[in-house]
Amino acid sequence: MTDSYDGPILEIESLSISFFTRLRDIPAVMDFSVKVMPGEAVGLVGESGCGKSTVALGVMRDLGKNGHIVGGSIKFKGQDLGAMSQDQLRSIRGSEIAMIYQEPMASLNPAMKVGKQLMEVPMIHRGSSEKEAHARALQVVKDVKLPDPKRILDAYPHQLSGGQQQRIVIAMALMAEPSLLILDEPTTALDVTVEASVVDLVKELGKKYGTSMLFISHNLGLVLETCDRICVMYSGEAVERGSITDVFDEMKHPYTQALFRSIPLPGADKNARPLRAIPGNFPLPHERPPGCNFGPRCDYFEAGRCDATEIPMTDVPGQDRHATRCLRFQEIDWHAPLGTDVQTTRSEPGDVVLKMDNLKKYYEVAANALFGKRGDTKVVKANETLSFEARESETLAIVGESGCGKSTFAKVLMGLETATDGQILLDNRNIESTSIQDRATQTIADVQMVFQNPFDTLNPSMGVGRQIIRALEVFGIGNSEGERRQRMLELLDLVKLPREFAERMPRQLSGGQKQRVGIARAFAGNARIVVADEPVSALDVSVQAAVTDLLMEIQREQKTTLLFISHDLSIVRYLSDRVLVMYLGHVVELGTTEQVFAPPYHPYTEALLSAVPIADTRVQKRHIVLEGDIPSAMDPPSGCPFQTRCRWKSRVPGHLCEQEVPPMRQMENGHQIKCHLSDRELAEMEPVIQIAAE
Amino acid sequence: MEPLSWFEIITRVLWQFIPVWIALIAVFVVSIRYKRRLGLYGKLFDSTIGMIGFALVMFWVFTGIFGAMDLIVTHDALSQVSGMKNEPPGTPLMRAEDGQYPYYLFGGDNLARDVFSRMIKGAWVVVQIAPLATIFAFMVGITLGLPAGFYGGRLDTFLSFLANLILAFPVILLFYLLVTPEIVATGIPNYMAVVLFIFPIVFIAVLLNSRYRTQPRIRTPLLIGVLGILGWLYLSLISESGSKVSVIPDFLDLFNVPGGILVVFVSVVFVNSPTVFRIVRGLALDIKTRDYVAAAQTRGEGAWYIMLWEILPNARGPLIVDLCLRIGYTTILLGTLGFFGLGLPPESPDWGTTINDGRRLLQIYLHPALVPALSLLSMVLGLNLLADGLREETLRD
Ligand SMILES: Nc1ncnc2c1ncn2[C@@H]1O[C@H](COP(=O)(O)OP(=O)(O)OP(=O)(O)O)[C@@H](O)[C@H]1O
Ligand code: SF4
Ligand code: SF4
Ligand SMILES: [Mg+2]
Repeated sequence: MTDSYDGPILEIESLSISFFTRLRDIPAVMDFSVKVMPGEAVGLVGESGCGKSTVALGVMRDLGKNGHIVGGSIKFKGQDLGAMSQDQLRSIRGSEIAMIYQEPMASLNPAMKVGKQLMEVPMIHRGSSEKEAHARALQVVKDVKLPDPKRILDAYPHQLSGGQQQRIVIAMALMAEPSLLILDEPTTALDVTVEASVVDLVKELGKKYGTSMLFISHNLGLVLETCDRICVMYSGEAVERGSITDVFDEMKHPYTQALFRSIPLPGADKNARPLRAIPGNFPLPHERPPGCNFGPRCDYFEAGRCDATEIPMTDVPGQDRHATRCLRFQEIDWHAPLGTDVQTTRSEPGDVVLKMDNLKKYYEVAANALFGKRGDTKVVKANETLSFEARESETLAIVGESGCGKSTFAKVLMGLETATDGQILLDNRNIESTSIQDRATQTIADVQMVFQNPFDTLNPSMGVGRQIIRALEVFGIGNSEGERRQRMLELLDLVKLPREFAERMPRQLSGGQKQRVGIARAFAGNARIVVADEPVSALDVSVQAAVTDLLMEIQREQKTTLLFISHDLSIVRYLSDRVLVMYLGHVVELGTTEQVFAPPYHPYTEALLSAVPIADTRVQKRHIVLEGDIPSAMDPPSGCPFQTRCRWKSRVPGHLCEQEVPPMRQMENGHQIKCHLSDRELAEMEPVIQIAAE
Repeated sequence: MEPLSWFEIITRVLWQFIPVWIALIAVFVVSIRYKRRLGLYGKLFDSTIGMIGFALVMFWVFTGIFGAMDLIVTHDALSQVSGMKNEPPGTPLMRAEDGQYPYYLFGGDNLARDVFSRMIKGAWVVVQIAPLATIFAFMVGITLGLPAGFYGGRLDTFLSFLANLILAFPVILLFYLLVTPEIVATGIPNYMAVVLFIFPIVFIAVLLNSRYRTQPRIRTPLLIGVLGILGWLYLSLISESGSKVSVIPDFLDLFNVPGGILVVFVSVVFVNSPTVFRIVRGLALDIKTRDYVAAAQTRGEGAWYIMLWEILPNARGPLIVDLCLRIGYTTILLGTLGFFGLGLPPESPDWGTTINDGRRLLQIYLHPALVPALSLLSMVLGLNLLADGLREETLRD
């Protein structure tokens, strides 16, 4: 390879890729073009199934046996990859192009030590000696900022946390010093604060090594933070392409606009800037409409024009390499204000329905898996002194990263586990030690749950209608099969699904539709408290808005208390009345949404806010990167749970943070913070997110 | 009359099988026509391997059924015709009476019986017993495997230990023990049957109860009806006047299962259920972590409802595949049992027994053993191909 090459690193020209299956051909990617210049990072965004991964796999020539490139060309440093032999491809794949997948373990060999896996890369591709390879491995492990590189090299992948594994995968990709790095949703499996640090790392390394990047993501905020240019895909086509600022601030395609309108932005709440879901559904590859693919969902659709011919990519005049696939982009008034939807009145919280008082849940785990019964067991403190109240028709958000005890809390509340200590009062009745078998039907029907993973929430072998009817049966609603059927149909209406869906099987539904059925099931017994465990995090952005709105609408009508578990602070800010921040089983901050999102913060909340990627170029964030990973609940740090990662720790005199668990401090108006910092210090905190004046 | 040439034999055999061909073609035409609406079964018709396997299996199933209706057979499977002892395929009968088929298509065995007809009748025995016995083994494995996987803990440890213990037991020894007269006299096989055959009843009772628990008005009559019938069948099955287990009077005893078949059932269940147990346990361990199981728990469903209606249906793919494979093993096992002279009565036309009969003169007369051996081979092959096809199709989509 010529190192003096200075044209585009990757040049994809009207690429089309189809999968040939038994039933039909699936044109997954059509007429897709993109250019990646040296040192440039290009983001590829779009909804699930729009063909992002297929493009990446096409570049890697790894489409499986039924995928074929049916048109166009992929040039890497000016050479056509399609014209290369298998051998040439292999050597390029290993050393010039590297790919990082969503699931870190997919790229690591579980039976081989990390160091050995890293060293193999230069030894195979360059024939380096073992010593050189080792030195290089040590160097990259330092580069990806892993603590104690020597120990890491000597560890097996499963001994590392998810964030560390992903760093190793990145290190492995860097070992070969590739010119192009393809990242397919590299952080989706990670927690927000860990994600923030990995993204940071990727950005920094890109600069340091001058690597070009193709960054695939469904998260616009993340792309804004990492990339120079962006390419928006819809249903197999690129619909808009341009620099980040052009596309974010002067978008020229209705789909891009609709995407931005469907995600909550900071500084906007449900009344100021309501979310606008994109109507309709994503077309399946074989059911694409004639003409513009986005036509059926587009607000600006013009019959006879938009559906007449294939729409070409057109350059936007006067801007740098900004192109859009819309016929009407010059006619549309892009700054027209959003048509105001039905104004929703905020419902006032009523009486206290649920009260948690000093709730504790400890698990005993055998320290030694084989001979556990004898003696030494370890105690995992999954929930420590959880206290809060929730009122009727109030939305209380519970925020925290994986392992902070959110799910344990939900289990105790639902009665799947019983509390170790403390009280849960439902309408002033104690339920903390009544397990679900002993609860009255009414109590069970009152507290219900919406689950996270839409693909898992419905029994795949049972019809949709049947599953809802079963919930009605169990909750003792309706006297006959006919009455229950009627009620089930009404529930489908409630979640805005067509009644025909009653006869469908879950696999015939999209993720968003399944989640709606899950919501209908939860509300079957007129639930008064609904725990929603990350109900939209696994859904596409355009669907998220619709499901969130639905949940809130039902809540308003039925005066439900909604406990909304999430790690996505944008959506929390958008919909919740009060927020509770958890870390390692402790509540570290509790207050109204305004209180929590404005200083003074708990140091963890501050970091969490800074970690959330925000898809708005006007927003300025203070940059706070947390070191290290979340400690294991098996082995929590002494004193303050957050002390291992806290940047404020040094302000507290006398190592107090390492010795004593801080008390819950009452700030003004019921705002609570669990921290040793002095009032003065807290008062000095600056806001993390600021919107630049226009 | 002249003996038939090979070509004539083949044509005549194919002709005898006419009802089977018609049935096979009908099944295939209908299935391929509506394959998109037939779920997993329909998908089978997308895989060549699966179709071949299915065709082989259905060939023997139809042969068994039509054979039992005396359609394909040319002679009585038990009657001997003088002068036909060990005659080669295609030999004409010495003195064919009116209406009697004039040839022994596949020759005669050492008792001068028609090998062809015995093969057909044998198919019926195999097609009846192998699937039924395997299904019993599955019910036992499922009823124990689900709670082991779902509850885990000590129950799991205990049951897994038991399963391993049985798997470690030398199977042939077990068979011999089961048919030894002294052991039969103690009633051990009967007692084992008493235990094993209760599982399907428990299984069905729990299945129905958990489903209709919330509607007592439907549940109670349904349970009484179903359990009544099943209970009666169960008692008829295990009770045999004269043996150790004779619990109901003869006039209530619907049928008597010959002792040999009972032994076959007991051994098949004994040999297969530990493996089924392990598969089900593994699947249950995996599926119980799904959100829909959690959803069922949060609406207060009972453990058995979750096991039977939420977990089991979603484990069906691998289980169906395994069922096919296991019916194949059982067919071989039947052959093995027959080969040792165990299980079925000695004059039974089932393939294992006939292979054993033909074995002694194998070096001189090949055909009496070869025909059932090839039948066994093709049926097991068919089941394996079918399982492969199903596995491939369940993995897709
Ligand atoms: N091996 C395959 N066989 C058949 N169809 C496939 C195959 N792989 C992908 N597809 C189809 O191609 C289309 C594009 O899929 P792709 O995986 O590229 O989407 P994506 O944008 O990466 O989605 P996600 O955000 O979920 O990762 C989808 O409709 C998908 O169903
Ligand atoms: S071409 Fe027409 S339908 Fe397509 S995005 Fe533009 S305005 Fe909408
Ligand atoms: S108590 Fe100390 S370590 Fe804990 S959050 Fe406050 S400053 Fe940080
Ligand atoms: Mg993808």
